[in-house]
Amino acid sequence: MPNLPAVVGSLFPEVKSLPIAALLDASLTVWRGKDVLEFIDGLSTNKVTELKSGQLIRTIFTDSNAKIIDCVTLFHMGEFVVAVGHLPFLDKLLKHTSRRILGQDVTITDITQRNDLFIEFDCINDSADVGTFSSEGDITRGNITSSYSLIVVGKGNGPINLEKFEKFNQWRIINKIPWHGYEITNSFHPFACGLEDLVHLQKGCYIGQEILARMHSRGRQGKSLSQVDTLTCKPSSITTMGETQSLAIIRC
Amino acid sequence: MDCGTCDSADPVQMVKPEVINVNLTISEMAKNMLSDAFGDDRSHALLVGVLSGGCSGYMYDLQIVESTDQDCQELSIDGFRVLIPKASSHLLDGIEIDYVEKLMGGGFKIINPNAESSCGCGESFS
Repeated sequence: MPNLPAVVGSLFPEVKSLPIAALLDASLTVWRGKDVLEFIDGLSTNKVTELKSGQLIRTIFTDSNAKIIDCVTLFHMGEFVVAVGHLPFLDKLLKHTSRRILGQDVTITDITQRNDLFIEFDCINDSADVGTFSSEGDITRGNITSSYSLIVVGKGNGPINLEKFEKFNQWRIINKIPWHGYEITNSFHPFACGLEDLVHLQKGCYIGQEILARMHSRGRQGKSLSQVDTLTCKPSSITTMGETQSLAIIRC
Repeated sequence: MDCGTCDSADPVQMVKPEVINVNLTISEMAKNMLSDAFGDDRSHALLVGVLSGGCSGYMYDLQIVESTDQDCQELSIDGFRVLIPKASSHLLDGIEIDYVEKLMGGGFKIINPNAESSCGCGESFS
């Protein structure tokens, strides 16, 4: 666990009483250049070309079998875009993307080591604020959904009162929220791990699109994310283990 | 968030592909269509590029241009100026530009010996 002095509570007083957990395996990359949004749009599942400064969006890079390479949250910072992904998948993501840059104006910088990332959960974000973020000093708070936010803080300036990640996992199980490294892995396609909302069905071609479009049109996606009884579910299907309930990706 | 805006963070090193002297051919049908498109004015050029995206990861990009700010190889093929961006030369060496006359899915087609697979519409390859 990193050494985290208290700051978030003072700059974001409204989050004081909400649970926050550290994300120790998140990656953070800066993407600069005039072609960045078009480039990411051409290689991922969500429509990101309309992203504006101050907004965020999640999208998934998929391989030719529609399996997830990484699911990233893009923050449009005005001059550039910041992508928050999963650190164990970063190498694969960079290999997948960098060889396709060709003549486009895109450069990528890895700033993972400069920042700490946190997840604030069990909150009630106003629906108008979902998909937006605010920054104050070196703290950026993005409202991913109505119930959780991502907080990015310059290294060593994060909150001090952190929940254990297990508590976040318990909350995820109850709310059936897939997470990086648990459900969101290279073994599954976006529909299987409950990320249907991040697949834009009208946006056009990207790697893996034909498979996802076919699954959707035929109504057959194979496995899907489910809440299961921990004791009765086949252990190998469980992706996030809870005491009584767990998350599992099982055949529909 | 510390974004490294002071540029003290190094960009991720990208693997720059080798620049290849591209050979390409244009089929008779495609030449006829290009002649119609260019007319007598041969000051314009056919830019044959590759963009990321599409079902298979790369997409062809054919444009008629006066000039481009991309660093290109310039070829002269049967009186046509053809520009190939150096950044995508490794993907385009040996291609044949063809023209297919069909009501659906017709138009310029690229036959690419470097492509391991291509999308049904022919615009994307890997």
